[in-house]
Amino acid sequence: MAGDDAWKADWAAVVAQIGEDFSDGAVHYGVDRVERGAIRRYLEPLEFDCPLHYDPEVAAAHGHAGVTAPYTATVTFAMGPVWAPGESVFTSAERDAQPARVSVKPRMPRGAPPTTGYFATDMEVEFVRPVLEGERVGRRGNRLIACQPKETRVGRGAFLTFEGEMVDERGEVVVRSRHTLFVYNPHQA
Amino acid sequence: MTQRLWDQAQAGETLDPLSFPLSVYRLVVTAGANRDFNSIHHNSEYAKASGAPEMYANTLLLQGMWERALRNYMGLDGQLRRIAGFRMNSFNCVGETVVVKGEVVRKWREGDEGFVEIKMWSENGGRMTVGPGLATITLPLAEATAP
Repeated sequence: MAGDDAWKADWAAVVAQIGEDFSDGAVHYGVDRVERGAIRRYLEPLEFDCPLHYDPEVAAAHGHAGVTAPYTATVTFAMGPVWAPGESVFTSAERDAQPARVSVKPRMPRGAPPTTGYFATDMEVEFVRPVLEGERVGRRGNRLIACQPKETRVGRGAFLTFEGEMVDERGEVVVRSRHTLFVYNPHQA
Repeated sequence: MTQRLWDQAQAGETLDPLSFPLSVYRLVVTAGANRDFNSIHHNSEYAKASGAPEMYANTLLLQGMWERALRNYMGLDGQLRRIAGFRMNSFNCVGETVVVKGEVVRKWREGDEGFVEIKMWSENGGRMTVGPGLATITLPLAEATAP
């Protein structure tokens, strides 16, 4: 590798780990059960008027044991808290300060070069079933499927593809997913 | 919401387009709703420092747009089984309007289940910004709903 592509060698350690599961094998449950109010709030920015998600009688009439969350909301209910008792996360008054512990961030493979930015680029999701009000869902597994170093118009980094699943309290899969993130350092302005 | 039957689905049939104007207000409500608090989605300065032209819609908002369009098509007894090819090709920024569109590609049966595959995409200013992807749904069979 020569010239302008030499930086790609920094990602060799990550490429070497393709196929590894970077999770601890445990299920990491969302901080709250699936709540009707949280489902309602998920609907708001989408103006998503589907009574399966807010009317228990309609949900029952269509074969569900309770109000269902939208399929795409499952990941929201598997997220951890922004703050937890005993913590102090808002420690700076700087305008763009980030919390001391970020609730949503990529779990990076060992030896990954330091990067400051990331965003999702691709998703592939299999929905086994919708989750119901009162259930609890969690994340399990985080296997690295691909690593492609690349320079794009926003910066230099790598596309990382992971696969994992979301499970209910019995450990049964409700969602299987693959997602690709671009993790990068922005170009200097 | 009208219930569509598998028997009624036809290749080439189009979904009703849905428009989602993206204001700061909507993106802030979105962050609170789907819990993606990455600042690139609600903070212009932060987003610009990351190389984006402006704050932009997050993944769950864009996926939820597809789900709403699909739910409108499939009715209350339809089930969403899979979304593939959900590729965010470019940013959907504040001040822009995302339009979700879809077209039935094919349908098939597996035993008592009726499957339909729908090509889905999002446009913004005439450009395809998400997709094209494929959604797989199931719809009730007429024979199962007959009295």
